[in-house]
Amino acid sequence: MQTSKHKVGLIFFPAFDWAITPDHPEREERLLYTRDQIMEEGLLDVAGIEEYRPEIAEDSHINRIHVCVPDASGVITESHRIAAGGTMVAADLVLTGKVDRAFALLRPPGHHAMRIVHGSRGFCLVNNEAIMVEHIRHTYGPDIRIAIVDTDAHHADGTQDIFYNDPGVLHISLHQDGRTLYPGTGFVEERGGPASYGMTVNVPLPPGTGDDGILYVLENLVLPILEDYEPDIVINAAGQDNHYTDPLTNMNFTAGGYARLTELLAPDIVVLEGGYSIEGALPYINAGILLALAGLDYSAVKEPDRSARVTPQSDRVTQNIRGLVDTLRKMWNTRKNIDPDRVFGPGPVYERERRIYYDTDGISEQQFERIARCESCSGWRLVVSGAVHDIGKVSRIAAIIIPWHACRTCRSAAEAEFENACKEPQLDHVYLQDTERDRFLTTST
Amino acid sequence: MVIVGIDVGGTNTDAALISEGRILATAKVPTCHDQLLESTTLAFEKLLNAYDRPDLSDPIELHLSTTLSTNAIIEGQGDPTAVLAAPGPGMNVAELNPGFPIYVLSGSMDHRGREVAPINQEEVLDAVSQAEAGGATALAVVGKFSHRNPGHELEIEKLILKRASKTGRITLGHRLSGRPNFPRRMATSYLNASIARHQAVFVDMIRKFMVRDRSVGRVFLLKADGGTMQLEDSLIRPVETILSGPAASIMGAEALSAYPDSNTVILDIGGTTTDISVQIKGDTVFQRQGAEIAGYKTLVPALFSRSIGLGGDSEIKVVRRLESNKETDASLSGNNTLDLDIELEIGPRRAGTPAAFGGDCITPTDAAVALGLAKVGSASQATRALADFAEIYGIGAKELATKIIDTFIKQLVVAIEETYEYLESRPVYTVSEILTPPDIRPQALIGLGAPAGVFIPPIAESLGLKYQVLPCYESANAIGAAASRPTAQITLHADTALGVMTVPEADYVGKIERPVLFGINQARREAMAWATKFGKKLGLDEADNIQIVEEESFNMVRGFHTVGRTFMIRAQVRPGVRRICSSPD
Ligand SMILES: [Zn+2]
Ligand SMILES: [Zn+2]
Ligand SMILES: [Zn+2]
Repeated sequence: MQTSKHKVGLIFFPAFDWAITPDHPEREERLLYTRDQIMEEGLLDVAGIEEYRPEIAEDSHINRIHVCVPDASGVITESHRIAAGGTMVAADLVLTGKVDRAFALLRPPGHHAMRIVHGSRGFCLVNNEAIMVEHIRHTYGPDIRIAIVDTDAHHADGTQDIFYNDPGVLHISLHQDGRTLYPGTGFVEERGGPASYGMTVNVPLPPGTGDDGILYVLENLVLPILEDYEPDIVINAAGQDNHYTDPLTNMNFTAGGYARLTELLAPDIVVLEGGYSIEGALPYINAGILLALAGLDYSAVKEPDRSARVTPQSDRVTQNIRGLVDTLRKMWNTRKNIDPDRVFGPGPVYERERRIYYDTDGISEQQFERIARCESCSGWRLVVSGAVHDIGKVSRIAAIIIPWHACRTCRSAAEAEFENACKEPQLDHVYLQDTERDRFLTTST
Repeated sequence: MVIVGIDVGGTNTDAALISEGRILATAKVPTCHDQLLESTTLAFEKLLNAYDRPDLSDPIELHLSTTLSTNAIIEGQGDPTAVLAAPGPGMNVAELNPGFPIYVLSGSMDHRGREVAPINQEEVLDAVSQAEAGGATALAVVGKFSHRNPGHELEIEKLILKRASKTGRITLGHRLSGRPNFPRRMATSYLNASIARHQAVFVDMIRKFMVRDRSVGRVFLLKADGGTMQLEDSLIRPVETILSGPAASIMGAEALSAYPDSNTVILDIGGTTTDISVQIKGDTVFQRQGAEIAGYKTLVPALFSRSIGLGGDSEIKVVRRLESNKETDASLSGNNTLDLDIELEIGPRRAGTPAAFGGDCITPTDAAVALGLAKVGSASQATRALADFAEIYGIGAKELATKIIDTFIKQLVVAIEETYEYLESRPVYTVSEILTPPDIRPQALIGLGAPAGVFIPPIAESLGLKYQVLPCYESANAIGAAASRPTAQITLHADTALGVMTVPEADYVGKIERPVLFGINQARREAMAWATKFGKKLGLDEADNIQIVEEESFNMVRGFHTVGRTFMIRAQVRPGVRRICSSPD
């Protein structure tokens, strides 16, 4: 019988009875052919690959990282809880040493879900990786160094938003250039907040990028950065929509490329994100990832139409990527030399205003954010958010966020702000998120 | 009609004669090694002698469970067999280490049964020549996704037969199972091909089988799933007869159970091991994918049973003295009369012959005998041996015996709990199954085996369950063989977007006439009709009694438009067991 080199835990949850709507890409059928392939390959019989059942994430897990409006149970479904809970199981398996690596092959995805959740965007409602990261920090230690490498074709704007000012998380997102694809963000200049400048790394790839390009980025940028950062845990948000057959994107990646990426990156935890070529790509990519995680030969994993459909990456794309990698390496290497005042201004706070669109639920959000710039901690935050739903409903909320290892000054300033905000009559809800103390307060005025 | 059930085991051959739900006679003879026919005849004769009423002129149906295929596989006595495999893209078969030679062919299908690459005729014939040159006398042909489209396997079979090869019957993977798992399909087909010739010899022998100058009527063979198959059918699917002995015992317990429609747990407590099986509403839980035998993982449907090293003759160890908190072994504790509390561990090894039977070991059996719970062997010998051992720890024989019994019970209770935890943690793929898992927890405990009378009542008490200690446990296997009924299953896969319907077990691939109108109800009707047809082909009287056991149906959407539906329906001849009245008449 076959034995894997690395012990792999698979949390497979295709949610065969759940869809956003019957014709939506996030529908029952999405992982059907992936299941067929994995079962037919007999991958679950390999000694060293073990299948585990997901658990159900509670409100308390979600409230550590999200502010759901009006509350967690008001917006999320049981399938979201299972996807988040399954991702947490993946972390537990790895951090307790039951397995070497874990693969949360489940749906619905989460990387477009930001901290404030008015509804669903980019098919995502809650952020599976982010919920897992907080679960890790709460269960296994707040100082575990975490790196998230998002290889979905879309910019992981939700994950970026959540960890934007979090010095404990390095977030690298590879994606098709935001000028050509939803959500239209993820440019190299987006590098993190004042407390974690440089810890957000965006790699916007030109349309038409193939195996050569993505593996070049991995070997010449991602791996060197990881080597430098020395994370305790590497999480791969493994969206599969870079594939040449994906209906929503314009990339040229193959199943073999994904498997090689997995082999090179050697992530501790892999979490499925997007990927909607459910027949032409997913069965082969997932089989490839699983084999690569287990340390088995994946060279025979090949899509039936690969030789007919995949053309070599163009020279123009190759040149573009080389230039991009050079730029980003320099940016990483010099990130600590940059005077933050030049980026964030000289004042005691950094403020920004954003408009966020929820494509899936048709919600338009206007957000004001204020981050205290503190010498002793990463600074407390105020987010004021107004959302207009397409049914005309309007909600206005404020969230006060106390970061991990908050200093006493920031903590009391945040508490005072919460008290004040609660008295504000225009706000429908006010929240205090104190993740370190696992405290989540909410007041409806 | 009367039914004779015979289970030819490794040590004993058991026989039971049943009619209309009553046990008319049972018999036991030692098995003559490798003499299946002789053992069967002897047991049969003894059974008839035990019954010995002149009015036995009814037709006899024989249900036979033997170790023929199991032993052939375990002892590696099968014919040299080669597997011709078309793996297509995916896992590297060279890394599989399957334990048999594989000749890789080109040609492949995808997950929906569409041809990706055709087979190459020359390559097939070359592979056959090579396999034969390599000594193979039996062949199996297996394709990846052949359960979705058996076309290539059938084509290859035709090619080989046309060439008039030395190889007689060829095993094709799709005929053995409609379930996915290519490596298991290969292993199952390999084993099937390798024992087919042995089975043919055996079938020939049984056809001529006579007892008291009388030939028996229909003959059925027991299978790993606790059901039966017609003798003739075993020529095509001999691999299904593996592991029929353990299945027969479970079926015996099911047949004799006082709680036929409940959730139950059956404990078969033997000398060395206890086997735990689980029934949900009366039906025994199956292995998730199929039986495992001699390191081969197969697709052969098999009853789930967990064997733990805990029995009447198990070894007893002292693992810890509580007060000193020191790990220590009984054999190391030279100091005598230390007034310490001790903790015991029983099994997983067998100790040897219990003191009560003249051996020099102390075992759970001795504890039961010393306490007067079991009336076997010598109570004084058991008590003396226990007293000698207990003295080291400064306790009395009775106290030690009680501790042994308590520990035995505690360990079994833990094993039962673990079994349920395992079954409840098996992956499921729908939100509803996660949110509302079925209640599989037991309502009753059923015990068989010699020590069952001692241990079952206290275990039931500790679990808060009703219980039953089966009276005829010595012949439960033979009763189970007699009580078993035929099982046969088909898998229907329909894809209305392709307009194709497949029933691999029946070699069927056909067009769906009006795909637009083909819905779940028609899929069910087709599956039931195919199950009936398949059952009739196997000569089963029960072929009209069909049930659907699994179904799946998905909307297929391409580019925001529904293009069809895909269905998977598994239908079977309704299994079950003849209920046997356990009270003597
Ligand atoms: Zn990405
Ligand atoms: Zn995506
Ligand atoms: Zn501070």
